[in-house]
Amino acid sequence: MSDAILLQGCDLRKTYVLGRAEVPVLHGASISVEEGSWVSILGSSGSGKSTLLHLLGGLDRPDADSGQVLYRGQSVWEQSQRAINVYRNNDIGFVFQFYHLLPELTVLENASLPAMIGETNESGLERAETLLTQFGLGHRLHHKPRELSGGERQRTAIARALVNEPSMLLADEPTGNLDEETGGEILGVLKELHQDGLAIVMVTHDPSIAAQGTETVHLRRGLIE
Amino acid sequence: MYQSKLTIRYLTSRFIPLIAVAAVALCVALVIVVVSVMTGFLNMVQSSGRTLMGDVVVTYGLSGVPHYERLMDTLISHESVAAVTPIVDGWGLLRMPYPDRDAKQSETVQVWGIDPHSFPEVTQFAESLQWKTVSENQRDWILIDAIQEHEHDVLTQLNEEDREFVIEHVNNAARTLNFEPVGLYDTIRNKLPEEDWAYILALDSRLTQDGDVLAQGLSLERNGKPAIVSGLHVSEGNERQEDGSYQVIRNDYWWLPRYSGTLTMLPVDAQGGIIEPESIVMPFANEFMSGVYIIDDTRIFVPLHVAQQLLHLDEAEIVDEDDPTEVVGVDPARVTSVLVRGEEGVDTNELRANVQSSYLKFYDEMPIGTFVMPPPLGDPGLVIQTWEDQQRSFTGPVEKERELMRTLFSIIYLVVAALILSIFWSIVFEKTKDIGILRSIGASRISVVWVFLQFALVIGVAGATLGTLLGWLITTNINAIHEALGNPPISIAIVAIILGCLTIAWMIKRSRTGDFLPIVLGTLGTILFACIALVVFDIRAMGGLVIWDASVYYFSHIPNDVDWNAAIVTSIGAVVFCLIGAAIPSAKAADIDPVKALRHE
Repeated sequence: MSDAILLQGCDLRKTYVLGRAEVPVLHGASISVEEGSWVSILGSSGSGKSTLLHLLGGLDRPDADSGQVLYRGQSVWEQSQRAINVYRNNDIGFVFQFYHLLPELTVLENASLPAMIGETNESGLERAETLLTQFGLGHRLHHKPRELSGGERQRTAIARALVNEPSMLLADEPTGNLDEETGGEILGVLKELHQDGLAIVMVTHDPSIAAQGTETVHLRRGLIE
Repeated sequence: MYQSKLTIRYLTSRFIPLIAVAAVALCVALVIVVVSVMTGFLNMVQSSGRTLMGDVVVTYGLSGVPHYERLMDTLISHESVAAVTPIVDGWGLLRMPYPDRDAKQSETVQVWGIDPHSFPEVTQFAESLQWKTVSENQRDWILIDAIQEHEHDVLTQLNEEDREFVIEHVNNAARTLNFEPVGLYDTIRNKLPEEDWAYILALDSRLTQDGDVLAQGLSLERNGKPAIVSGLHVSEGNERQEDGSYQVIRNDYWWLPRYSGTLTMLPVDAQGGIIEPESIVMPFANEFMSGVYIIDDTRIFVPLHVAQQLLHLDEAEIVDEDDPTEVVGVDPARVTSVLVRGEEGVDTNELRANVQSSYLKFYDEMPIGTFVMPPPLGDPGLVIQTWEDQQRSFTGPVEKERELMRTLFSIIYLVVAALILSIFWSIVFEKTKDIGILRSIGASRISVVWVFLQFALVIGVAGATLGTLLGWLITTNINAIHEALGNPPISIAIVAIILGCLTIAWMIKRSRTGDFLPIVLGTLGTILFACIALVVFDIRAMGGLVIWDASVYYFSHIPNDVDWNAAIVTSIGAVVFCLIGAAIPSAKAADIDPVKALRHE
């Protein structure tokens, strides 16, 4: 395992505005992810775990007085919008609790969508097919998401996250919407990916799932402990 | 790349794009139909005016212009003038041949005395004549009339056997032909010896020459006698068919060129006083249809000299007031108008100016000592107008109406735009989560907006194309649709009742599951079909419904030419509105943080 720091969140703050009220969620959370590591962020509901993951993944912008998200030493949010799009498309893969697949597209099309967006369509299609087959969905390639079980949907989402060969997977409660057995299967997939050298940041509220990672950090009151 | 795939999937996997296409198509069709009809109406008003009166008209009220032949020579000598023709315009009473009983019906008619040689050169008189050839029934009626009219001569000509044969068959035909074709012409031709048959044929030239009815119309003569060509609606015997053609009722029994009419006109003296009415019995030679109802309903054409005689506008001697036996001069023949057609490409206003200068020349060149001088150019009664000026009182309100419709339709355009915008707003709103997903995996804002622009482009183009097609279909068939709406076939009501029953059955079957939607849809469907059936029965009970009343709108049919300029503008407008409608909400959605968009439900 390399000790090089891949992703770093420094003094991250995030406040949501709900009507007239300001709700601070993160109060200066800092986190470092080394290449090839599996960091589990453990926290209770509403502790800001997902928010932290969104900030790290370039999906949400930290507050103006906040610190930075550094990917390979470069500030993500100080780059151009185009560079941020490339970061989301190429450098990281996101896995959501509720899968977030496009209902009109087939399993194969969903999995290859980032490659199509990144304009590496043909190689992406092949890779998507390989990944899906590897995840046991070879017989489901041309099915629509509504025809899949929860576990199959999540495996499709993982294939989508990996199709552009990112250096890091950000998983937001990847088993949160699945039964124990199916969740175990998904964790098995993540384990294999980690063993292949993929860095993973996983958010969960379940200590036993968090324990699958190489490192566990706790998020309490908007701070990493 | 991914945008195209997603666009296709959005279009093919959901129902709402079809609704959007249908909405766009209906809006486009609606605008095309209304604008086309209004524009066609105005064009018909304008072009019919030109068709009937040439380009420029020289008019001098009731007194008429003397020396009009000299005037026409002067006018035609100008290089911008292609043809001229004199007109005598007046009103009269025409005693029609119907009904069968003695008290014949009279019509008030506008009588135009025309010169059959020059009138078709200025107007489209020849094209407007209704009867180009005679039909089989009409020929049989002519044969019956000819034999009955010359009964004595014909019967004398024939031998005993043929005489009885002809009497029997002509009498039978006169009774039966009202209801069904009898083939009298062939029956008699086959029976009679060639010489006798030739004798009968010689009684009316229309029996041998099919096109003679047209030639008689053009020459305003029937068998050598001056004849009338009347507007198609003057006679009540002509009935408009669903396809827009005309048929004569009772199997051509009331075909006007069989008969004669009595025309009575009131001549007016120089002071405007009425002189003794003049009457003349004249045969009908043909009928014409200009397409302008008010003209086809009231106008008849007679030979110029007949009208001049009836209105006392023909040449007359002027006698000494103190000694009526002494002729002191000649009052030349007069006409009330001279119609002028310009050469191709000559502007009508320029032509009017040329006609005015020619008129001045004509007036100035009148020999010194002319007994009856034409009116000078500035005379209040003398009018030299373009056909547009002459028709202004008629076309002006129509133009105003069209502008009003255009203004109203610019509001409808906004309604259409709002409708399209709201449809796309709801489509994009529903797809906000998809936008969040796409953004979270690296799609740029522009590329996401482009998905929806492509989507809108396809819907817009499909809707505009279908709408144009629908608009074209409705506009070109608007008269048939009008006929069907005005007198709907009973089969529509029967089909509606059957569909209503099927809807009720479907509703009962589907509502057993406890779902509420089938009940709502079934109830609405049943009400709709019941309404259709009721409306059909109601219209039929009223004996038909006339929406486009020719007597109100002046034209016998609804304009049915598509205004392609309006169609193109409307179609492009619809596509642009679709693009705007999609661009605004999709840009708004693309601006939302991916995380917020992902939470969208």
